[in-house]
Amino acid sequence: MDIIVCLKQVVDPELPLREFVIDPATHRQVRAGRPLVLSTYDENALEVALQLKDRSGAKVTALTLAPQATIGDAVRLALAMGADEAVIVDDPRSPDLPGAAKARILAAAIRRIGRYDLILCGCESADWVERVVAPLLAEELGAACVTFVSRVESPDGALVVRRQSEDGFHLIEARLPAVLSITSDETNRPRLPKVKDIVAAKRKPLQAWPAADLAVAAGDTTADGVEVRDVAAPEHTARCEMLRGEPAEQVALLAERLRGLKLL
Amino acid sequence: MDLHWLRAAGVVLLLAVAGTIVTRKLLRVYHLIRLGTGPVPLERLSLRVRDVAVQVLGHQRVLRRPFAGFLHLVIFWGFLVLLTTIVQAFGEAFVAGWTLPVIGGSPALALLQDIFIVLVLGSVAAALWWRAIARPPRLAGQEQAGAYLILGLISGIMVTLLVSRGAQIVLEAPPWAAGAVVSRRLAGWIAGAPEPVVRGIWEVAWWGHLGIILFFLTWIPEGKHLHLITLVPNVLLRKARPRGALAPVDIERAERLGASAATHFTWKDNLDAFACMECGRCVEVCPANMTGKELDPRRLHTGLREQLVLAGAEAAAPQDPADMGSRLATPPLVGGVFSEAFLWQCLTCGACVEECPATNDHIDKIVEMRRHLVMEEARLPDTMGDALRSLEARGHPFRGAGLSRTAWTAGLDVPVLSGSVPPERRAEWLLWVGCASALNERNHAPLRALVRLLREASLEVAILGDEEACTGDPARRMGNEYLFQTYAQQNIDTLRRAGVEKVITTCPHCYNTIKNEYPQFGGRYDVWHHTQLLARLLDEGRLRPQAPLGSVITFHDPCYLGRHNGEYDAPRRVLGAIPGARTVEMERCREKGFCCGAGGGLYWMEDRVGDRVNHVRTDHATETGADVVATACPFCLLMLEDGKAARGATIRPLDVAELLGQSVQSSGVQLGPRDRG
Amino acid sequence: MAGVLVIAAAPEGALSRSSLELVGGARVLDAALGGGVAAGLLGGAGAPGAAVETLHRHGVPVVYRVHHPALGVGQSDALLTAALAVCEQAQPALVLVAGDTVGREVAPRLAYRLGAGLLTDCVALGADGGAVVAKRQAYGGRAVATHVVRRRPAVLSVKPRSLDAAEPAPIAGRVVDVAVTIESAALPTRVKQVQAEKAELGLEDAQIVVGGGRGLGGPGGFTLLQDLAVALGAAIGSSRPPADAGWVPISWQIGQTGKTIRPALYVAVGISGATQHVAGMAGSRTIVAINRDPEAPIFGVAHLGIVGDYREVVPALIAKVRELKGR
Repeated sequence: MDIIVCLKQVVDPELPLREFVIDPATHRQVRAGRPLVLSTYDENALEVALQLKDRSGAKVTALTLAPQATIGDAVRLALAMGADEAVIVDDPRSPDLPGAAKARILAAAIRRIGRYDLILCGCESADWVERVVAPLLAEELGAACVTFVSRVESPDGALVVRRQSEDGFHLIEARLPAVLSITSDETNRPRLPKVKDIVAAKRKPLQAWPAADLAVAAGDTTADGVEVRDVAAPEHTARCEMLRGEPAEQVALLAERLRGLKLL
Repeated sequence: MDLHWLRAAGVVLLLAVAGTIVTRKLLRVYHLIRLGTGPVPLERLSLRVRDVAVQVLGHQRVLRRPFAGFLHLVIFWGFLVLLTTIVQAFGEAFVAGWTLPVIGGSPALALLQDIFIVLVLGSVAAALWWRAIARPPRLAGQEQAGAYLILGLISGIMVTLLVSRGAQIVLEAPPWAAGAVVSRRLAGWIAGAPEPVVRGIWEVAWWGHLGIILFFLTWIPEGKHLHLITLVPNVLLRKARPRGALAPVDIERAERLGASAATHFTWKDNLDAFACMECGRCVEVCPANMTGKELDPRRLHTGLREQLVLAGAEAAAPQDPADMGSRLATPPLVGGVFSEAFLWQCLTCGACVEECPATNDHIDKIVEMRRHLVMEEARLPDTMGDALRSLEARGHPFRGAGLSRTAWTAGLDVPVLSGSVPPERRAEWLLWVGCASALNERNHAPLRALVRLLREASLEVAILGDEEACTGDPARRMGNEYLFQTYAQQNIDTLRRAGVEKVITTCPHCYNTIKNEYPQFGGRYDVWHHTQLLARLLDEGRLRPQAPLGSVITFHDPCYLGRHNGEYDAPRRVLGAIPGARTVEMERCREKGFCCGAGGGLYWMEDRVGDRVNHVRTDHATETGADVVATACPFCLLMLEDGKAARGATIRPLDVAELLGQSVQSSGVQLGPRDRG
Repeated sequence: MAGVLVIAAAPEGALSRSSLELVGGARVLDAALGGGVAAGLLGGAGAPGAAVETLHRHGVPVVYRVHHPALGVGQSDALLTAALAVCEQAQPALVLVAGDTVGREVAPRLAYRLGAGLLTDCVALGADGGAVVAKRQAYGGRAVATHVVRRRPAVLSVKPRSLDAAEPAPIAGRVVDVAVTIESAALPTRVKQVQAEKAELGLEDAQIVVGGGRGLGGPGGFTLLQDLAVALGAAIGSSRPPADAGWVPISWQIGQTGKTIRPALYVAVGISGATQHVAGMAGSRTIVAINRDPEAPIFGVAHLGIVGDYREVVPALIAKVRELKGR
């Protein structure tokens, strides 16, 4: 079985609030000087791929779309955890590209890789949180699609996966090739790499393909005609608003606040 | 004449037999020890010899348990003194009438010998009582039969000696008899017997004496009495590096990382195992063991010894297929002989290392096995794994910390050191803040108090700010040497670019790592703990605490400042300089200090077996009746605050800098319920 | 191409709440952009009569009804085919889809196949000139992005419970039955089993979390918290002391050595706010603290604070939440 895992590097989601700054020109988070990590659910996706490899000897390729200069250790980490190869599609625009554009470029890269049975992504990226790459990849490649998969139940023979739902889960049988977006589950806690694997990872094949070299399909993506006007980080008030009065009054005030925040 | 040749021949025969047996056994032990690797440290030989004198001759650590220690001292010195009688006996066997040169026939020597015979016998009796009746728990973990046998043999040696001396006095009336007051008494009892009977008594006693001694000699390599041979080399060849420093690993070239089998340790680790007397004092002081955990420092050495013997036997035995079953039954070292839980319960506090009369190092072995678990198998408790992942991703192990490294400086305007500032304008001291201090709000007050105190003394510090990364100490203690070296190298590069020479820090872990471990990678700095610098400033009169603090304060010694770096006095001098403050010591203080529970990376492990170490330590503090438990470590402070909350105690945990800061301020302030530094 | 099409669902016959929210949003857009509102009702077994009635009653004049046995719960591929068929008939300018389990799979693929624009997980919908202006959350809830959608057609998926449900506005309506050919065996994915789990909501992924601390006094306090959690639709967790004391399972522990959570709302009840607990929840977007001690450190980190006895405050809060949600 050939598995491709799409990995995205994002700015550390646990950055102190003070460091979280939006660039008004690009409408995206300022990345310079901030630590980059693998997007949370992408790590789960990688773990699922590696477990499939452990179980039935699949080949795992890590695929990432990023400006090569900023790749950092994320891809090496994927190799150290157990991925067999890595492919970087070098595109300097990529941090600010919408998901649909990324899906198109990734699809071209995947076609160039050639062999794929399963393509795994994180269910949502920790930064832009669009949740579109997996379904759009499936459309680009003409593959089956299941999102928010928490577990792969039986990789042999038919592919059966568990998709998380509002009140439980669905067991879904899917045809190969399939694109799965992975959500976190107690069974897919990302593994720690062994040190000898970290050292060995330095020798694993890592290819960098300039995006311009790929045969990216032409035409509009679903992101065209949809523009970002503004991204605003709401003011972070340090002071706690104390709600006064009798319990009934306090509760009424609280409920009002929560409704205003669309939490109720 | 015939009898004499027979005697000589007999002695030679016995010596040959015993000698062969002992030599073979010792050679086997030697080969087992040599299964381990590593250099033989001989530098600073005079210090080493002095150590041997202090520990072996002086019994310094042994005497920490006064009763048992005194007994052992007597028996030890008894053997040294009574060596003279053994030499005498052998000499006589070959040359009739031979005596030791100079002191040989002197009554004074005889008196000394007699006194020691009685003392040794008395000590053996007391030891028998100690072992059989008083039964201190630490002795329960020993093999009892062997222990009683040795006590019996010693008694036998003393009794046969006494009897043979008595008989000799009757038969030969030697010149030394005048001093042998006890032997003379015994002589008196048998003087009435016919001469052949007395001669018979003498022969029996004499041969019995020799026989028991030689039997004793062959028994030494069995079990814990091997320390008679191994202790001196064990002390002499102690590791050269500073106490708090762990051994570095050449990750790229090492064929394996850490130890997963008995043959993977250094030869010195193996020697430790053969020098361990199973006294159990390490167990008695181990905070993990004391709070009901599985960890047993003694078993570390006895277990290693057993496994080495097994490994040696396996290597020697022919490859018999029928043996496969029993060989497979030998449990693996890591996860079998020592369970993973066992290995993760060690706080690396060093209480065992401090206590051990054989000067063994328990921590080295545990860390070696952790290195295998973490670096080769990537198996460690989930929460510790999370801390390491956080460390790798964002340069600190405190997941979820929402603070930046400079948040604590608000309003203080502490300069950030950078290579772009010309050297003459740079602050003399670099304040190494550390993750535990910067990223945990409780520790901001001690930092701010320190900066204010230093400014009061006209001393400016600079910080590295965001360029400071974790020293890597948690990674190293957890066994991830790779991650540690990555950060060590990074920090050393940063420090070099910033031209740093003098470092002050409030965190003993940072202190220990930068001072004792960074030199392993080429980083050498003049490192001070903040209490040391504060003590110096107080001595020099550059800080004058004015305001009285009417509190009773007990000081909790941080393990990495105290035991690992020998600094017990500086914080106490600082506290002592505060007017009005009364100090009271906990029972377990200074070298006997009880860990706060955060060491060895265990800050990131949930302590769910038995009592929580930090809760027990809080109890120690409250039992003194003090208002304040002072400390000098950000981890200790967090653990004590947690313990206080858990126990609902009223005692206030505070850093030494906060306390001094209160007193150095112009307005004296009595510590109120919410006061901070 | 005109108007707003809502893809509605009626599990077990009654129109789902999120469909009503979509209708509400559609009507707001229609008021600004014109073109009319329609709904696509994709159903499997069971008569969709009641749902159609509800749609008409809330101001939707045209309902495109697709009825096919393959359109069961969770059958994304079948539902996608059905939605495409409806779009082909209705030719909407905008399509609103609920961002639920199925919607998040279907919406992007629907957009792709329609050659439409796409914006997912909208939390607010409006108009500006002839363009749709929508808001969504970004950066784990730390920021709000405002998008302008000029392209037509465009598919917008809406985060459930973000929009107000439509008010009743009865209107005469008609139903258009849309035929669709779906060969179950040819579908690339097939739902084999739908499993409802009463299992606790995963702490780490829940949008609302209620946490209890030492101040609850015992396991009994957590029973009350459970009621609050159910009322809010929240997961439940704890600080360390209740986990230590065995009042709650260890898996509930939130903190530096427990779970890290970043929900939209965290309600801390009887929690003092020790650093190691705060480290596990400081990323929460809105933190509400209920504690008897006005000096408790938790108030330094919370956004909304109530000083009071949880035994009085929490029951009142449960009642209030039930009252508001019942509406």
